[in-house]
Amino acid sequence: MSYIGSHILDRELKKGSAELLILSLVEEQPRHGYDIGSLIEQRSGGVLRFNVASLYPLLYRLEKRGWIEGRWVEKAGQRRRRYYRLTPAGRKVLAAQRSSWREFVEAINRITGLEHA
Amino acid sequence: MPDWKQEIGRRLARLRLPPVREAEIAEELAQHLDDRYEQSLRGGATQEEAHRAALLELTESDLLAQELGHVERPAGREPVVFGGQRRMNLFRDLWQDLRYSLRALVKNPGFTAVAVIALALGIGANSAIFSVVNTVLLRPLPYRDPDRLVMVWEDDTKGGYPRDTPAAANYIDWQDQNQVFEGMAAMAEESFNLTGTGDPERIEGRRVSASLFPLLGVEPQLGRAFLPEEDGPGANRVVILSHGLWQRRFGSDPKITGQPLTLNGESYTVVGVMPPNFRFPGEEAEMWVPIAFSPEAAANRGRHYLKVLARMKPGVTLPQAQAEMNTIAARLQQQHPNENKDLGAAVTALHEYAAGDIRPALLVLLGAVGFVLLVACANVANLLLARAAARQKEIAIRVALGASRFRLIRQFLTESLLLAALGGGVGLLLSLWGVSLLQAFIPQSISQVKAVSIDGKVLVFTLLVSLLTGLVFGLAPATQASNFNLNETLKEGGRDSAAGTRGNRIRSLLVVAEVAVSLLLLIGAGLLINSFLRLRSVDPGFRTDKLLTMEVVLPEAKYPEHAQRSAFYTDLLRRVEALPGVKSAAVTTNLPLYPQGNSIGFSVEGRPDPATGRRPTVVTRVVSPHYFSTMGIQFLQGRPLSEQDRADSPAVAVISETMARKFWPDGDPLGKRLTPGKVEAAGPDDWITVVGVVKDVRQFELDAEPKPQMYLSYEQAGFFEPNDLVVSTSVEPLGLASAVRKAVWEVDKDQPVSNVRTMEEILSGSIARQRFSMLLLGIFAGLALVLAAVGIYGVVSYSVAQRTREIGLRMALGAQAGDVVKMVVGQGLKLVLVGVAFGLAAAFVLTRVMASLLFGVSATDPVTFIIISLVLIIVALLASFIPARKATKVDPMIALRVE
Repeated sequence: MSYIGSHILDRELKKGSAELLILSLVEEQPRHGYDIGSLIEQRSGGVLRFNVASLYPLLYRLEKRGWIEGRWVEKAGQRRRRYYRLTPAGRKVLAAQRSSWREFVEAINRITGLEHA
Repeated sequence: MPDWKQEIGRRLARLRLPPVREAEIAEELAQHLDDRYEQSLRGGATQEEAHRAALLELTESDLLAQELGHVERPAGREPVVFGGQRRMNLFRDLWQDLRYSLRALVKNPGFTAVAVIALALGIGANSAIFSVVNTVLLRPLPYRDPDRLVMVWEDDTKGGYPRDTPAAANYIDWQDQNQVFEGMAAMAEESFNLTGTGDPERIEGRRVSASLFPLLGVEPQLGRAFLPEEDGPGANRVVILSHGLWQRRFGSDPKITGQPLTLNGESYTVVGVMPPNFRFPGEEAEMWVPIAFSPEAAANRGRHYLKVLARMKPGVTLPQAQAEMNTIAARLQQQHPNENKDLGAAVTALHEYAAGDIRPALLVLLGAVGFVLLVACANVANLLLARAAARQKEIAIRVALGASRFRLIRQFLTESLLLAALGGGVGLLLSLWGVSLLQAFIPQSISQVKAVSIDGKVLVFTLLVSLLTGLVFGLAPATQASNFNLNETLKEGGRDSAAGTRGNRIRSLLVVAEVAVSLLLLIGAGLLINSFLRLRSVDPGFRTDKLLTMEVVLPEAKYPEHAQRSAFYTDLLRRVEALPGVKSAAVTTNLPLYPQGNSIGFSVEGRPDPATGRRPTVVTRVVSPHYFSTMGIQFLQGRPLSEQDRADSPAVAVISETMARKFWPDGDPLGKRLTPGKVEAAGPDDWITVVGVVKDVRQFELDAEPKPQMYLSYEQAGFFEPNDLVVSTSVEPLGLASAVRKAVWEVDKDQPVSNVRTMEEILSGSIARQRFSMLLLGIFAGLALVLAAVGIYGVVSYSVAQRTREIGLRMALGAQAGDVVKMVVGQGLKLVLVGVAFGLAAAFVLTRVMASLLFGVSATDPVTFIIISLVLIIVALLASFIPARKATKVDPMIALRVE
């Protein structure tokens, strides 16, 4: 029982923050899925890891909402890859999510008494 | 390198994605796994380890399918490229479109409510009116082969009666000579005083040919119809009862046939009871007896009192029947040059006769509700357009996801049709209520009023109207929404795109159309209201307030002699006039505003008898002396009838001004004499002296010019019997009804009294048809006006919202509130004026179809046109003033900060 509970909580948390992570990563430049997954793992020092089963559904979800836009890009001598870039709508969402994330983290910090970053 | 795609495909299988999409996902994921695999190899892993590591990415395979299931749509959601499963997709798409539409509607309850209400009103009004049209004009009459049933009339167009009730001798000749009819039947009005068991009661009945019931193809529910031999003098003391009378008066006695009944003091035998719904159009009869012409009656061509029904032989058309009757009528004219001069015959379909004069009104109303629905459609289309503009982002995303234009149009149409279906459903409920309301309004003279109901045909009609409505109001927004530039929309601030401008243009056009149609309806209603007011203000020639009327019909068997009847009335009037609250009382053969009545032909003393032509006829009422003062009929010359004008004194007459003008144009009719026969054949006692002239009275209908009229004394004229009692009161008339009834029973305790009404009721009943059309068209026009006002309001306030920034800028630059209001209202006004111009042009052409419904105003009455246009413009100004006011409240700073 508790296992299922924590499992779901974990997933929800991940999902909630994952959107923010993905949007941030494609903000500066279009990236493909493997790139995004690797960057998350790298930059989080291995703490955060998305496998295929969780990453791609998220990408498609964001794409469907019109926040990111995927496009097949072919480069000479390479297989075509699907690159995702931020849409204008996604840009707004990213800004909003960033600030609410910041507020959220600050609030958590104030409550848990952790040091201010 | 391992083939990941198979592995991935297995995991995606249960999602049933469209093949193209599935391939795409598989390709993307496979690449990921490739990358992973290669990275592991680079990190020093063996091929097997790398393979396992890559597959681990998919381990939560359930999760993959589950998560993708939230995001991806099953096959058919996207346009099918490779075909193959087209039909499957069509239905699945439809189902999804429906679900999607429903969600969209639920998400926007305000919009949905307004749209559904507008549509429900439009569709409901259409269904309600259609159910009346269906019953009165379309539904076949409940007889065998009703299409072959016709009414046959005498056509006395010259005498002013193009549909006159035939005389018996003519009817019999028609019957003998024609080759086009399977059979004919005649009916004559007659009421019966039913006595013996229970209270005396006067019962409306008909004398009918024995052939009537077989001709209609209707059989009695109990007993039998009349036998041919019963339709002759001597054998005709048999009666058939209506189902209602049988229930009411005889407690549904199953053994009623064979029992005796006392009618008008004579004994009849009940032979049958008709089924509950049997009714002849326009008649309220509760019993039928054989008409059984006596030899004298059968030879009479002067008394026109029959209604004649005929059944055309199979294959005979109405024009053929009419042609045959023309030939016969022409022959009869030659054979009977005196009685039948200028007398033709007219054949009308029974269903046309049954619909009566309500037909043009119903058709106009049907057209009007159609227009109301168009206005409602325009309104909803406008709402949808505004909403589509707001949904541009959503549409853009769907297009970006690969939805085709066709697919988008279909989605939009699904939404419209869903709205229309909701509107139709609510409309149907409204029409249920509307039909019961209509039943209260429709003049009772329309025979099938009680049968008006929502049947299968009405349901199909409503369904079709709803579907059509959905298409009409859905098509414009759908094509418009799907036809836009993706890049423009996706760009920031893309709201000023070309599509937006085009949307505005369509919205403006819709408002122009709404205004035009509303104006058309309003003018129609205005003309009817104008007509009705004029009709109401027609001077009927008598007072209508504080008059109590009732019918007192003396049975001939009990009062065979004219003197007995006179004595009865003299006694009755003396008693009634003695009642407190009664000013005066009188009897007459017919009250005014009754569609039938007696006329007699006459000759004037000192003038030659018309050689072969017919003598002039005059509407004749036989009245008691106080009739004129009781009815408030104004005297112009001479004196009223008096108590001294008795049976043994010289006969006198009071005539109407029209009669005076027509026959004594020199202006001095007093003392002149006339005779109801030929001058040369008149004996000394046959002369009637004119003693007075009164103002005209509207005898038949308020909107018909009065015909020449003559009043004779009830004591002197024995040929027509008074049976209407009229009492002038100083108190509320109906309050005296029971006292007057008691006075009747003091004279004769077996004498029935019926049809107690005030003159106001009679007047109001006589214009029921006009009131019906006026009220309904008025309601529909009002509905259209409200819808149009909402439409104008919507468009203007939408454009204000769009121009918030511009308005803010203007105000920041110093524009005053007044300027802004002027600008916004001016924009609304421009649309309205264009609409009014179109509406006036349409009204000018279309109101002509209403000509037959109008009285005293022309179909293009300029006053009505101008006043109604002004009303509409004022309403439109108000509708655009509200958003204009809101526009002035725009804070320049906020407006400029938007975006």
